Amino acid sequence: MSVFSPRPEMPAPSTARGIVRAVLLTLPMLLLIAMMMTQGELPKDSLTRAVTAITYALLGAVFFLMVYKKETYKYRAALFTIVAVCFSIAFIANLVEMRGSMAVSRADMLAGETPFCHLVIPMVIIPAAFTRTIIFPGSLLEGFANIASMLILWLGASLALGRGWCSWVCFFGGFDEGFSRLRKKALIKKIAPVWTYLPWAVLLTLALISALTLSPFYCEWLCPFKAVTEFEQITSFKILLQTIIFASLFILLVVILPLLTRRRTQCGLFCPFAAFQSLANKINIFDLRIDTEKCKNCRLCVKDCPTFSLDENSVGRGKTLMSCTKCGKCVDICPQRAVTYHIKGTPVAVGSDTARILFLYPAFIFMSAIGGSMIVSALTRIFKLIATGSMIG
Amino acid sequence: MSRLKSVLAYTAAVLALLIALATFTGMDSFGRKLVSVTGIKVSPWMIGGEVVSVIEHEGYQTVIHRPVFDGLFSERKKGMLQIDWTPQQGLPARVDELIDFDRDGKDDFHIVLNPESNKAGLEAINPRVVSIEGCYTLKDGRAARLSLYHD
Amino acid sequence: MLQGFILGIASGTACLAYCAPVLVPVLLGEGKNIQRNYVILGQYLGGRLCGYLLFALLAWAVRFPLSGLQDRELVFGVVYVVLALFLVYYGLFNHRALCAGQIIEQRPIKRFSNRLPPMPLVFGFLSGVTLCPPFLLAFTEAADKVAVWQSLLVFFTFFLGTSLYFLPIPLVGAFNRFDALQKVGKLAAVVVAVYYLYAGLIKIAGGVIVS
Repeated sequence: MSVFSPRPEMPAPSTARGIVRAVLLTLPMLLLIAMMMTQGELPKDSLTRAVTAITYALLGAVFFLMVYKKETYKYRAALFTIVAVCFSIAFIANLVEMRGSMAVSRADMLAGETPFCHLVIPMVIIPAAFTRTIIFPGSLLEGFANIASMLILWLGASLALGRGWCSWVCFFGGFDEGFSRLRKKALIKKIAPVWTYLPWAVLLTLALISALTLSPFYCEWLCPFKAVTEFEQITSFKILLQTIIFASLFILLVVILPLLTRRRTQCGLFCPFAAFQSLANKINIFDLRIDTEKCKNCRLCVKDCPTFSLDENSVGRGKTLMSCTKCGKCVDICPQRAVTYHIKGTPVAVGSDTARILFLYPAFIFMSAIGGSMIVSALTRIFKLIATGSMIG
Repeated sequence: MSRLKSVLAYTAAVLALLIALATFTGMDSFGRKLVSVTGIKVSPWMIGGEVVSVIEHEGYQTVIHRPVFDGLFSERKKGMLQIDWTPQQGLPARVDELIDFDRDGKDDFHIVLNPESNKAGLEAINPRVVSIEGCYTLKDGRAARLSLYHD
Repeated sequence: MLQGFILGIASGTACLAYCAPVLVPVLLGEGKNIQRNYVILGQYLGGRLCGYLLFALLAWAVRFPLSGLQDRELVFGVVYVVLALFLVYYGLFNHRALCAGQIIEQRPIKRFSNRLPPMPLVFGFLSGVTLCPPFLLAFTEAADKVAVWQSLLVFFTFFLGTSLYFLPIPLVGAFNRFDALQKVGKLAAVVVAVYYLYAGLIKIAGGVIVS
């Protein structure tokens, strides 16, 4: 049989049975999303109530489709991108409302009011272990995106999803995911495998430099996502240089290279947090497996993996690399249906949807709990813009 | 044996769902617990050392922070001292002060600050005082950071 | 003699802090076991000692020639840039089989690499002549000495004191069975080079502006 022969169908139930199954599996998730989004009480104003309903419907529909169609990637990627864009809209609008601009001033930093984000976590761990201090000008317990709540979120997601964080929780990853899906075909198809080690090199260097200088070096100099969130007010040549560097990295790694390669180049070739988060895959119960007997070695999964988490050797071993983000693309595109979600310690059961469903529940809870509020906030701002001509106020 | 392994594995998979739920429902209390158990704080290099003394003036006060020499393993040779002047409204056109940061009864430096332009001049008396690192705007006042040598 | 050693012990962590970003990538990049890593550390420290002694001689011979701020900034800025260039060379070109440099390796580079001393020695030397605060202290101490041997002795004992802190680093060799770490080490050397290049250029610019 040619590797390009029609994809073997899943032993799907009849349409009616499929719908009933999907509805039954979606109902608990709908309940959980409702709990997460409303926290027991409906929003008071009608606009927020309407926007919450729209978001709720969107999240419910996405989960239903994932279950009913038995496909993960395209629905997840679409929602993931929406979350990233909404995060950015909501975050920037909020900043402009509070501070008057996207620029974080020294006053905000000295007051410890800079929102903490997960990307800095690998840089703060060594100093926290030795000095019991967090080298970030944020607030420990108070306010939006405080350090303690972000650490708890990260710990919980790392335990539940491993590096699944990068495809289900990270509110930045949707940007390069979105850009990587804009073109139908990649213009750059071959990337030397050695570059997939670059995130580890960046992690090693930044962890050392941050520990030794006791400053969040990645945030100050390299984080491309400052372009879509906040950045330091330009008051010196040094800050100007930092601004040029992060803006260039954003344009190159988050926009241009994903467009040219159809891969998530920031996440797969640069992000030190991503490298660090790969370690969480070692303790997480979920992984992806390849049935080497079914696999015809077409290399489609190797070529298409958004985060470079498969190579010939790993396919030969029937496993993904440690950097797998559990996005589900390889599962969905495999012409032989040889790739499957898997629970470590259980037999590899290609064709069974159980492991995928068990993974989808925690993953979607994280995605909807984080993303839901961002979508609500962004949609509210957008409706305000339409109605009043301004997002602010 | 493999059956037991599978049962444990599926249990762990279900546990992942519970972890996800617990993360959101208990985020605040887990966060507080994390902070109290580990005793972590925000680095004084970021927000200034703890306040060690406050000098009251008419209409404003001078807040002196602990000199920060904290390093990864041991104290650094060179450190930083933060001085705040608050509130903004009460600041005179020219702040002119002699400061004894180590509280040994002897003045260590003479600082002159123009709150309007946020520029400051420094005259070191104690040889440990090196220079002004920068002047900053606070939410409600002004701050200056000085670089210092360790004793 | 004891003075230099005590100064070294007291400043060792700071020395380690300045050297670790160079030494750790090099040890990983070499991909050797623990015993061989101690040989590499020996080369690095040997290079560092040469750098220290060179300065001891300078300190004695010309009585603190780098007293002016602008001279210091210029000289050490240049050393940083040279260090950065060697790190780039090490990360991308100086390899046996495994790294990205394979793609861009050319013959002149090979000829160049055959004439060079071992890379850890070069890095040690360049780290040794780089201006870290404890080094400056030792420099000041040595400049006070009347005889050249006293000056050399201060630097040598200072070197011994600081070197104690380097002893645990070769233990990274315990992970040498992971081939990937070798590639990570080489790439990390390039990333560190970018940092030193920036720091060097800023120092040079600062030196030029001041002078």
